[in-house]
Amino acid sequence: MNIIKNIYRWIDERVKLEDLVKFLGKKYVPVHRNSVWYYFGGVSLFFFIIQVVTGILLLFYYKGSADLAFESIQFIMSKVQFGWLIRSIHAWSANLFILAAFIHMFSVYFEKSYRNPREMTWVSGMLMFFLALGFGFSGYLLPWNELAFFATKVGSDIAGAIPLIGDPLKIFIRGGEEVTGATLSRLFGFHVALLPGIFTVLLALHLLLVQRQGMSSPLKVETLKESEKRTMPFFPNFLLRDLLLWLLILNVLAILAVFFPSELGRKADLFASAPAGIKPEWYFLFMFQTLKYIPGHLLIFEGEVVGILLFMVAGILWLLVPFWDTKSSKGQQNRLITYVGLFAVTFIIVLTILGWI
Amino acid sequence: MKTLLSLFLLVIMFGIYSSTFPAEDQCFVCHESIGGAEVELYKKDIHYKKGISCSGCHGGNSKSEDMETAMSKADGFIGIPKGDNVSKVCTKCHSNAQIMIKQYNSSLNWNQEALLSKSVHGRLSVSGQEKIVECTTCHNAHGIVSVKNPASPVYPVNLPKTCAKCHSDAKYMRTYNPALPVDQLDKYRTSKHGILNAKGDPKPAECASCHGSHEILPVKDVNSKVYAINLPSTCSHCHSNAEYMKGYKIPTDQFEKFSASVHGVALLQKHDVGAPACNSCHGNHAATPPGIESISKVCGTCHALNADLFSSSPHKKAFDQKRLPECETCHGNHAIITATDKLLGVQDGAVCKWCHGDKPESKAFKTAKFMKELRDSLVSEEGIALHLINDAEQKGIEITDEKFKLREAKQALFESRTMVHSFDQSKFSETIDKGLNVTASVTQDMSIAIDDYYFRRWGLGIASLIITILAVSLFFYIKRIEKR
Repeated sequence: MNIIKNIYRWIDERVKLEDLVKFLGKKYVPVHRNSVWYYFGGVSLFFFIIQVVTGILLLFYYKGSADLAFESIQFIMSKVQFGWLIRSIHAWSANLFILAAFIHMFSVYFEKSYRNPREMTWVSGMLMFFLALGFGFSGYLLPWNELAFFATKVGSDIAGAIPLIGDPLKIFIRGGEEVTGATLSRLFGFHVALLPGIFTVLLALHLLLVQRQGMSSPLKVETLKESEKRTMPFFPNFLLRDLLLWLLILNVLAILAVFFPSELGRKADLFASAPAGIKPEWYFLFMFQTLKYIPGHLLIFEGEVVGILLFMVAGILWLLVPFWDTKSSKGQQNRLITYVGLFAVTFIIVLTILGWI
Repeated sequence: MKTLLSLFLLVIMFGIYSSTFPAEDQCFVCHESIGGAEVELYKKDIHYKKGISCSGCHGGNSKSEDMETAMSKADGFIGIPKGDNVSKVCTKCHSNAQIMIKQYNSSLNWNQEALLSKSVHGRLSVSGQEKIVECTTCHNAHGIVSVKNPASPVYPVNLPKTCAKCHSDAKYMRTYNPALPVDQLDKYRTSKHGILNAKGDPKPAECASCHGSHEILPVKDVNSKVYAINLPSTCSHCHSNAEYMKGYKIPTDQFEKFSASVHGVALLQKHDVGAPACNSCHGNHAATPPGIESISKVCGTCHALNADLFSSSPHKKAFDQKRLPECETCHGNHAIITATDKLLGVQDGAVCKWCHGDKPESKAFKTAKFMKELRDSLVSEEGIALHLINDAEQKGIEITDEKFKLREAKQALFESRTMVHSFDQSKFSETIDKGLNVTASVTQDMSIAIDDYYFRRWGLGIASLIITILAVSLFFYIKRIEKR
């Protein structure tokens, strides 16, 4: 233990660690019956860190070209020491990352934590959420297997149906008229360079804002007297609890990766017909399913276009909720927001289940 | 006197009356008086016998004694028909069911011209003005007789020569199809069919029996009677007809046996045109059963390695001496079934046993037993390796390389089947050993991979335990901090 203390003292003498510890010691996290939701921000961050680490390890062997992508993953799975584990963890963690981000987003929404002065935190979080979906979409194609190929085809076709910008957007995503090796190279670039770059900047901003502004308390807690408010030191209590949860999640992740390893399927064949039951990843399923239910034509408009536009409008309204929910910012209860949120959660869950079965 | 005058007037009046009604076919009357081969031939023509006048084909007025009137274009006189007009003249009646059936009570098909037009002979000739073949090309113009009449050029005994007029003419044939052989007649004369035909027997197959008459199509046309898939049933038309084949002293169950054979199933059910049809073994124009010594050569046109190995094996000499038909002795002929491992060895049902089964000390007996055991061992090892691959695949282990590698063992199994025909232990062992090396390597790789799979679970257990201990320690540490 003396060695650790000596090392700490050595660093402290040089960078004044004690100041940082004191600063962290002054930070407090509100404690109330909904405190559990605070952890999902940290959980999302943990999954992101796992993605970065396993992603870098996969990059050592992955080859982003149509001729070699599938084979390079086969190599990772069969020949690289623990390659199968790294890939399975990357695939599982990707899904759990988006699930944690969903929960984090909805918990913040229902607590109205986006209200003044945390509008920027909400917007940066939402942008990261969209980027996470982008990570999912671009990463899904990288194994260059049959399922990924056709899912990307369907996904980019849907993007192509957006009025005005649809066609150029589709060509931008595909790198041409069709899903080809050019699409793979492009999405690989997005996945490992463009998206992580933007995400890191947004993440830094998001964390900085959280540190500067502290954790938001629910409206009911905020109205309590100072003496009635319960808190917990951020350091070490909250951080250690975070760490405990991370350890449990790591355990779950390892079990999932070993017992349900990620499959590779068959190599994509550009000239083969689409296999039956092509579905996007589960987090796009509710949108996919909704578009299937919308009739071909709604009055003079194409049903699919109307559906996509509705999702776009809903997404923009969701992103800008801190700016139109003025009641919450004034410290007033806004039940409409809660009902809209409940509707969104129910809609997503029901449509996802319908799409799955 | 009155009576005599009356009689005279009656004769005069009859003369006048009869001069207004000339003989039925004035063309024939006139041309017969001129003489000529056409007239002599026409006297024997079936059309003449049916009362059809020259004008039936050449047009004109056959009732007029006046040449100008009889051969007047106004009366449809066309002279000697040229090009496609020849066939058109014939089809005036022969394509008209009403005339053929009602007027002449004929049982001839009235679609011959339609068939001819769709046939290979119905294509345009070199001149581009007419069909390659007109009716008269085969049937002649004057002197046409029934196909059953030995004088007809299309009577079965005469037909090969009729077809050969063009088909044996290399100079003529190369203007249409330079790749088509012109020795069909020569070959035909060496065949059983051709020998009997030359003796005047009209029953054995001639050109039209296999190729059809008016409806002849190129051999590569799927509708051709001699297209590979259609050929067995074309041959069976005669060869499966016991009544028709009576007197020739050959079996009539070949088609039945062939249909159930490995070749027949491939050709007739799977439509694999690479599979042999009757002509692949018997020849086509020179069709005859292959001789005992040449069977391995005939089978060897496809099964080349087997044939070579057999020819250089000790069996070749022994088979020749005992007059045993080579491949056929073990595999049969028309009823060849898929060769299985059961044929090899000295157990019941094995073909080696037929000759060598009662001599356990003989080298042949030991060789047969050895080859069977060695092959069984490769089959078994391949099965084990495949089982491990499937097991590994079920466990989510990547098996593509091993699966690919195991194909070499499968290949060795195929090769060993061929190598059996060398009847040589060392050559056979060499082939089997290639396969055994592969199965050993795959079995080892897969065993390691499956062990690794279980190691993963142990590894997970240990890792989980460490993480759990850390988590529990952290939990108590947090509790301790929060108690302060």
